[in-house]
Amino acid sequence: MNYTLTRPRPDTPARSSLISEDTEAELSALLERRRKGYSLEGPFYTDPEIFKADMEGIFARYWIFACSIAEIPEPGDYVTFDFGPYALIVLRDDDGGVNVLHNICRHRGARVLTAESGSTGNLVCGYHSWTYAPDGTLVHASTAPGEKLDTSCFGLKKAHSRVVAGLVFVNISAEPPADFDDVIPLIEPYLEPHDISKTKVAYQQTIVEEGNWKLVMENNRECYHCDGHPELACSLFPTWGLQEGMIPPHLEEVWERNVEAKLALEARCDRYGLHHEVLEELDTRIAGFRISRESLDGAGESFSATGRRLSKKLLGSLRDFRLGRCSLHLQPNSWFHFLSDHIVTFTVFPIDVGHTIVRTTWLVADDAVEGVDYDVDELTHVWKQTNLQDKAFVELCQKGAASPFYEQGPYMDSEYQVEAFINWYTQRMREHLA
Amino acid sequence: MSFSTSPIHSHEPLRISGLEMPWNRALRAAAETSTNDVGRAEVASVARALAPYRPQEFLAECVEVCDEPGDMMTFMFRRVDGAPLSFRSGQYLNIEFPVHGPDADPVDRSYSISSPPTRPHTFTITIKRDPKGLVSPWAHDFLRPGMVLDMLGPVGAFHLPDADRRARYLLLAAGAGITPIMSMVYTIHDLPGDADVVLLYHATRPGGFAFSDLLEYLAATDSRIKVYWSLGGHRAPDDWAWMAGRISAGMLNEIAPDANGRQVYACGPEEYLRTAEELLRSVGVDDTSINMEFFTGDHQTRAEYAEEVALASDVAEEAADADGAEPDLYGPDAEVDGGGIGVPVNVHLTATPVVPETPVSRVSDADSPIDGAEFATVGEGSLTMSFVRSKLNVRINPDERILRVAQRAGVRIPANCQDGMCGTCKIVKLDGDVDMNHQGGIRAREIDAGKFLPCCSTPLTDLVLEA
Repeated sequence: MNYTLTRPRPDTPARSSLISEDTEAELSALLERRRKGYSLEGPFYTDPEIFKADMEGIFARYWIFACSIAEIPEPGDYVTFDFGPYALIVLRDDDGGVNVLHNICRHRGARVLTAESGSTGNLVCGYHSWTYAPDGTLVHASTAPGEKLDTSCFGLKKAHSRVVAGLVFVNISAEPPADFDDVIPLIEPYLEPHDISKTKVAYQQTIVEEGNWKLVMENNRECYHCDGHPELACSLFPTWGLQEGMIPPHLEEVWERNVEAKLALEARCDRYGLHHEVLEELDTRIAGFRISRESLDGAGESFSATGRRLSKKLLGSLRDFRLGRCSLHLQPNSWFHFLSDHIVTFTVFPIDVGHTIVRTTWLVADDAVEGVDYDVDELTHVWKQTNLQDKAFVELCQKGAASPFYEQGPYMDSEYQVEAFINWYTQRMREHLA
Repeated sequence: MSFSTSPIHSHEPLRISGLEMPWNRALRAAAETSTNDVGRAEVASVARALAPYRPQEFLAECVEVCDEPGDMMTFMFRRVDGAPLSFRSGQYLNIEFPVHGPDADPVDRSYSISSPPTRPHTFTITIKRDPKGLVSPWAHDFLRPGMVLDMLGPVGAFHLPDADRRARYLLLAAGAGITPIMSMVYTIHDLPGDADVVLLYHATRPGGFAFSDLLEYLAATDSRIKVYWSLGGHRAPDDWAWMAGRISAGMLNEIAPDANGRQVYACGPEEYLRTAEELLRSVGVDDTSINMEFFTGDHQTRAEYAEEVALASDVAEEAADADGAEPDLYGPDAEVDGGGIGVPVNVHLTATPVVPETPVSRVSDADSPIDGAEFATVGEGSLTMSFVRSKLNVRINPDERILRVAQRAGVRIPANCQDGMCGTCKIVKLDGDVDMNHQGGIRAREIDAGKFLPCCSTPLTDLVLEA
């Protein structure tokens, strides 16, 4: 039989909705009655239907952080990642740009690339060898004599990308919200002096936390729990999130050091022309963000027990190791610390309602030599420990949220950024369901 | 109204970033060339000509002598054999001085080279007169143009890196300690690149700064270079407009508040260097970023330098007849104290040529012939493909595609698109050349590793293939 295969529906959009009308109605009600300043009700953390709605209303609509270009330095290098029902490939193209493709073969839907990262020329599906060019165009599918296939109709679906100072953000919606493009010029000047294009991956850690993605994010947005991070608290002032007048007695001494270090850092930043002002619009715009440059304790250089540098090669055009941490928080799935000697990126990929991937990547100058300029174990020690401690906290909360006796609890003053995250989430979901 | 001879206002020039010494690329090429590459001899000889590979013994003729401030004299030499002198900026020479006349045993002393390696056809040493010494008064009084001296060098691990993309330096010099530092400043001035040099120079009296004319000129004309003069002694005269006092935390903070992120090169008397070291540590300069050369020192320091010269002498003698690459005594990979040697811009440099890791498993032991002499041969054609795993020789013509011929002869190679796109048929080529016209099914790095796509390749020579 001879027949011509063509695309049945031009520009087939993603299937319209993953969730039922009943769920929509319930979720709308829950969002409507959300108690400001309090944690979310249990179903937000435990209901698989709400998880589907999150994926559709947040992760399929807004810009999310995927990886940095240090992870894909050469043409053909790629990383893959899944979040909820979605699967993407981020591939460095021959012109140094980035292609983002859905990792779903247009033949029968198999994953095209199965490794978490690698290097490839054309993309070949392992099932029937459908072969795609790096831009997603289908270039080969074997056919029987006389059988016709219009390859131009079966390219891998594409998603949007923005590379911000070397950080790759992706968006799978048809029309990405424009607000992110207005945020880029605000944050780029903070990050560019660290020059990600001249860094390399020293280490990457992928952990699965048994908790809802929102608990993972909430936990990142406060340091009220930083007594639980003894390694981190050596360099990151546990007074983070506090202001004059909010200092509990046990942190007064730390606060004094913090204030002194802050002044010294600001003077240094002014000398070197580095931005240090806090820009904070976590829930007052679509592309919610916070960026700042903040002092570190001890020597003020890096995340070590003494605050001393962990890599001996300065990044980018920086002239001093004592530059604290330039920290960036973005809604909905990422945070970053840019230091003089290394960069740590964190990205959150939800798996299902109760499981979330946290991928942490340590970058050092690409001319830093392992064993000479840095030691991988020392470099990664603090955040590896901190990640494990955070994982445990998140998992404790997830367990609690499933109990009928769980009740919404109040966010404290020092947890205002948690409230900002939840408020951002609530607004976006209301808009999505409207 | 004022007139100028230069109608163009001098703005900051646009520059590449970082510094790279003239021999860096030759060394890199030599390091990356494997022993069986064509052209290896040529690459190695360029590297040898340009690079400060190793100390040599040579004769040098004094060609010029001039006075310097501070009871110093600068002596210019050129090699008797006419070769340029290869060295790294900051290194020194060990020189035999015939202080007791031409027939007696000479006395040898080490002196830093004060000229830059960017001007290698002549070189200078600068000697301070020590009235109680043996060699320096002799040199001042009797070393004159036309005299020929025996020299050994270059020697020493105190030198600028071969390549440094950051190139921010704090140079500290006291008294005669200026000599290697002078070479460094001049070297950086001679090279392109966006460097940042701060020199703090101590002397005991206003007229005691050797090279003051040259340093003032460089500081005035090269925006990358800043020079700070300080009188280390007790009383600075009233008309002294520069800094006064010994090196201190305040002074350091004033001239280089960003010392924390700089590479430091310091040369002078031991006490001065110990003070400087302590101050640098207090602002967080890492030990590996502090490079020091002692001009005076205790017994141990002197013994260490004597040992360094002895080693250099041994290497020079051994290498005199040897051909090929010699160990780079003072290169970036050399294990020396006071490292702080930058890694080259965008390259990983290994001064000693290294054979790259064999990218593929090669069938090369004597028992398993890779020429396929023992395999059965099938098919027709002017060339032979030996499939080492199938143990089969297959004849092929130069216009035939390798995959099809191989498959017809029964060699199992999985394939799909058969047109260079999907990469399914990728195999390793152990020997021979092919003409491949792929369409993205293979990456350059895979080709470099010896792989190819037989579906879209025709043979240029006999082949040995891993299939």
